[in-house]
Order: sequence, then structure tokens, then C-alpha cells
Amino acid sequence: MRDKNSGLTPGALFIAAFGAGLLATTAATTAFAADADHGKAVFQTCAACHTDRPDAIGPSLRGVVGRKSASVDGFHYSDAMKRANLTWDEANLRDYLKDPQAKVKGNRMPFGGVSNGTDLDDLVAYLKDYK
Amino acid sequence: MVTRLKDVDAVTVGFGWTGAILARELTKAGLNVVGLERGPDRVPGEDFILPSVRDELRYAQRLELMVDNSIDTITFRNFPNEQALPIRRIGAFLPGEGTGGSGIHWGALLWRNLPSDFRVRSALTERYGKNAIPDDMTIQDWPVSYDELEPHYDRYDRLCGASGQAGNVQGKKIDGGNIFEGARANHYPNAPIKSSNAGVMYGAAAKSLGYHPFPAPVAIASSAYTNPENVTLGACEYCGYCNRIACETNSKASANSTILPVLRLDPKFELRSRCFVTKLSYDKAAKRVVSVTYTDMRNGEEYEQPAGIVILSSFVFGNVQHLLLAGIGEPYDRDSGKGLVGKNYAYQYEAGASAFFEDKELNPYWGSAGMGVVIDDFNGESFDHGGLGFFGGGYIACNTAGAPPIAGRTVPHGTPEWGSEWKRATVKWYHHAARFNTQGSVYANRNNFMDLDPTYKDVFGRPLIRLSYNPPDNEYNMSRFLLTKLEGIIKAMNPTAYDMHPRPKTFTVVPYQSTHNTGGTMTGADPKSSVVNRYLQAWDAHNLFVQGASVFPQQHGYNPTGTVGALAYWSAQAITTKYLKNPGPLVQA
Repeated sequence: MRDKNSGLTPGALFIAAFGAGLLATTAATTAFAADADHGKAVFQTCAACHTDRPDAIGPSLRGVVGRKSASVDGFHYSDAMKRANLTWDEANLRDYLKDPQAKVKGNRMPFGGVSNGTDLDDLVAYLKDYK
Repeated sequence: MVTRLKDVDAVTVGFGWTGAILARELTKAGLNVVGLERGPDRVPGEDFILPSVRDELRYAQRLELMVDNSIDTITFRNFPNEQALPIRRIGAFLPGEGTGGSGIHWGALLWRNLPSDFRVRSALTERYGKNAIPDDMTIQDWPVSYDELEPHYDRYDRLCGASGQAGNVQGKKIDGGNIFEGARANHYPNAPIKSSNAGVMYGAAAKSLGYHPFPAPVAIASSAYTNPENVTLGACEYCGYCNRIACETNSKASANSTILPVLRLDPKFELRSRCFVTKLSYDKAAKRVVSVTYTDMRNGEEYEQPAGIVILSSFVFGNVQHLLLAGIGEPYDRDSGKGLVGKNYAYQYEAGASAFFEDKELNPYWGSAGMGVVIDDFNGESFDHGGLGFFGGGYIACNTAGAPPIAGRTVPHGTPEWGSEWKRATVKWYHHAARFNTQGSVYANRNNFMDLDPTYKDVFGRPLIRLSYNPPDNEYNMSRFLLTKLEGIIKAMNPTAYDMHPRPKTFTVVPYQSTHNTGGTMTGADPKSSVVNRYLQAWDAHNLFVQGASVFPQQHGYNPTGTVGALAYWSAQAITTKYLKNPGPLVQA
């Protein structure tokens, strides 16, 4: 939705490139195997909500790989997520993070998904060790 | 019976942006701080979540995040010879309530005043002569300069994860940014948020006329960003719902999303929500506020909280009311011109337009609270006022904050307000309408002020604030001037039709215009001309620091919150580096 309709002023483009520099450089180093360091940079997008703090908008993702869906104590999951009955293995996580509404329709996470395949692999690699 | 509590080092009266900034800075300096907030605690993980947060009816129409008028309101009259009446349901301005205050539902426009704004009386006198300023225009220079505030503006930018295109970094002008702005030490921490189709069309038209368009600066993270408090803000998802509503992705900055995640874990800080402060106890001889008294709104119990430092960080009306009720400073008397508390009230002068483009798909449903493209060619002293018949100015914007289902139905003038014809028009124009705004300054006038109402009282029996306000001819002329410039740009966009929306000469408290109320406890160089000194310390109570837009001596052509945040950091720095070492007046009267 955003990309189709975006229109930046020339100045905005200059700054967008400037701001994205850090991510782009790290991405360039991920030629072959999944890169958890780069995954950590991708995880910044998740970290706004998925913190360990008591006022967090999302559930903590520490130890998420291998966990049952909707299983963090005290977090108010959507009915859709409560019904999903998934184990967050790598394949399920990858599908979910690629397109959250396709994998668990009606869940309440306000996030459109990670479209870049390398970013997705690296993010899952990072989450495996995020404990 | 009032229960007297144990002393604390500092207390904040109100817990929006400034209460949170001061609480954070003071706890970092080792103080124990209690944050008192009249409204409920608002926790992102409980209150800012889908699907409930995208409820335009609940929040934007029924105003769930705003002050509760069954407890408190203000009275209003246009002119001092009228009987003021209570505003039973707020409309033109919408102060928030609860932790985060108005900084939850705000539009997140993050502006700085121009360097010349801080010395407006001197600047106008130098440029237009010593008799140029009318007698009733009670503007005055700020006691602090842009250069002094710049590091604090910068700090607030970083706290908020601000997104924008700088136009002046260390004196180097940058095309595509606001070339009229004061020099910044740094670029914005994030790239500008996106521009809508309408914004791009507006920018192109403005440029064709020789103006300098740029994306509006906002306290909304355009990408994931970790602020200096080590709190990560999310990338804006452009949901198009966030005016009057909380942010579901921690992208739009609020005290709740940027500072409170840290403060909530700090044992030196205690938040007490639903605690309504009704009184400051003032020791006039010692020039100190001894304690604050509050009512626990859950059970009606009263408590007295003694404190070493009192941070007065409620909304403009609350700040002024507290000082007047406590007898701190001399109340302003309009007839004699004497007194200062309540003086120089100003209210942002906005006026807009809408335009319709039959053949253009504008996709208005997506957007972000402050999203827009702006020109700032006609603000403050950035242009010559010779022969124009007014001082001041403002920025001119194409706003594309989203078009939600209830309020986002812009139709041409003359369309019925309901019924089948209205329905047809909303379907025809929804995708093809663009909205514009001019955001103008209000230079203070002796007739615009706040005092205590002689008749009406709040639920605690305290006199309400009485607001006397009507925009002077100066502001009316300023606004008309900005609208002619806007009309020129709209014409250059070649619309199918357009409507200009000038404000009537008489101010009304509906419909919504902005929540930019300022003045009443103005900052200044000496106690003869101001209520607080340059560090926002009350001249008449050295342990009382008054925060927020009530300290503005007048209103410049920008949204106030950027300057409010910068002043909070500036004031906090003075407290932690000067006042704690040597409690007493920081500026000798």
C-alpha cells in the first residue's frame, strides 16, 4: 500500500538514502548463510513493541522459537491467535513474519510483514538465539 | 480530613510531556519524584492496542482521551464586557487527560520557533521603527535565545525519534528542507515520513510559484529507531487514525512511548494516577510552595504531599488556575494593565481550505497524524511586513493525516450535511479531495487573558478559569494574507473545484481548531514583566518551576510542543546543575 502511493520530495529522497545507509551496508554482507547479526538489525522493527517491559504492546519474543502460540503469561492475545494452535518452529515463524494476516487471519499485530527473503531468514536466525 | 504524607524531593502536578521529562531528569539526578496525574494511567500494552485503538467514534468523536468536563472546564467570553459561560463540552481545543496528557492524541507536528521569534519585540522595532508595534500588542522578547535552546530542541528531537528534512544544518542551507529555520546542530534522527499524492502535487505547485516546500517535521518515527533512553520506537504504518487517538505501534512519540517505559522501572519514581491536585500551599514569606493537596478520584480521600521542588506541569488553564488560587504572583487586571498572571493568552489562528480533483486518485485513507507538505515562506520575520497592515505569519500546509470513516469526508461547499445527496457527494469525492491549513501566529493583546470566574466553580468548589479571547484585527489580517497565498498554490494545482475556509472575526469555541493555547504565566527577563524567569522558575516561589505553553509570552506561527519539550529540558538542566547545589532564585530580580 505504502510503496504504490509514496511520493517523496527530492530532499526527502536524499535523507531517506542517508538514513538507510546503516541497514544497507549490513545487508550487503549476507551473501550465503543466514546472518543473525543482520537479523538483529531487522529485529529493531519488532523491538518497539516486543520488549520485556511491563507496558509493552507485544509479548516478549525471548525463547519464541519452539514455543506454542499464544503462550506468554499475562499477554492479551487476540481470539485469532488463541485459536491458531501453532508451534513457532522456524517454518511457521517464517510464514507468519512474511505475512502475518495470511498465516493467522485476524490477529491484532499491526505489522504488514517482512517482504525481503534475506531479511526474513536473518530475522529467524536471530530469534533462534534470542533467549 | 487531609492525610499528610511523607516528604518527597519533587512532585509533578500533571503528567504529560513536561511532567515526564522533568521526572526523568530529576530522578537521574538522584531525586525521589512523585508524578501526580488527575486522569487514569494510560499504558501502551493495555490502552494503545488493536483493534480497540482504531475506533474513531470512541476517541475522535466521543473524545475518550480528553478532559472530563463533568469535573472541570473553563468559562469563555469573547470580550471583557460580556458574561462568560462554561464550556460544557470542549470543542475548539481538546486538552488530554491521563498519563501522557495531550501528548498522546496530538498531531505530533514538531516545530521550532524562528530565532527572530525569541526576540520579536526587538526584531520588529529594529525593522519597522519604534512606533510600529501597536500599544495594545503586548508582545515581548523571550529571556532565552534560539541558540541557547537549540541543544534542548535537539534532545527532544532525539527523544521523539523525529522525522523530517533539515533545511539548515550548522548554517548550511539544504534544498528540500525548511531553509528559513534556525541552524540545527544535527539532521533529524529519521528520514521524513512519506508524502501523499496530494502532498506531492502541492509541493510541485508551491515550487512552481517560487516557494520552498518540504515535508512537515513530525515526532513520528519513519523507521524503527532507538532513542537515547534506549527505548525503541516502531516505524509508522500510516494507518491514518492517529489524530485524537493513541499510536498502536509506538511510532508517534508520547511520554508513554518514549520515557515512561524507563520511569516505570525506576524505584526513584512513583506515579500516582487519578490524583487531582486542587491546591498549592504557598509560604509567601519564604517564597516557597510547601506542599500540594490532591484528591484521590477513586474514593474522594484528600492528601497533602509536601515536596522540596514542585513542578507545575498541567495544561495552560490548570497552571494559571493554580497560581491564581494560591496567590502566587499578581493577577492580571485588564483595565489597569497591572499584574501578570493570566496575561498574554494566545490561541493559534488557523484557517484552511479544501480542493477537489476529479481525475486524480489521492488515496486519502492512508496517512500519519502530522503528515503533510509545507511552505514556511511567510512566517515570523522571514518576510517583509512593510505595508501589509499586520505582524506575524504562519506556515501553509497540505495536510494528509488520513481520512477516517466519520470525519474524513470532505465535500464541496454547498453539499447538504446529511441525506442522499450528501451520501452521493461523499462517494464521488472521497478519493479526490485534499485538505489544507494555514497555521498562524497570535501576537499577544491586552484584551486577551485568563482570570478566575466570579460565578462558576469546578466539582471541588474552586472557581473556574475564565477565558476572555477574540483574535485582534492583526491576526485576522494575517490569516487573510496566508489564505491568499494558499489560494494561489491551490489554483496552481489546477483543481476541479476548491473552497477557502476563512475564520469568522468572532472566535467560537466550536468546532475544533487546535489545542494550542498559550500564555498566562509568561517567561521574561524580570519580575516586572513576567511570572517565571528564563529557567521557568517562579519569581515569587523559588522551588516552583512552571512548565508548558503557559510560559509563552506570545504565540508564534508554529505548533507549540517542540518548544515546550525544549524548554522542559532547558529548565530541567537548570534545576539539576544549578538549583540543587544552591536552592534559591536562579536569576536575581
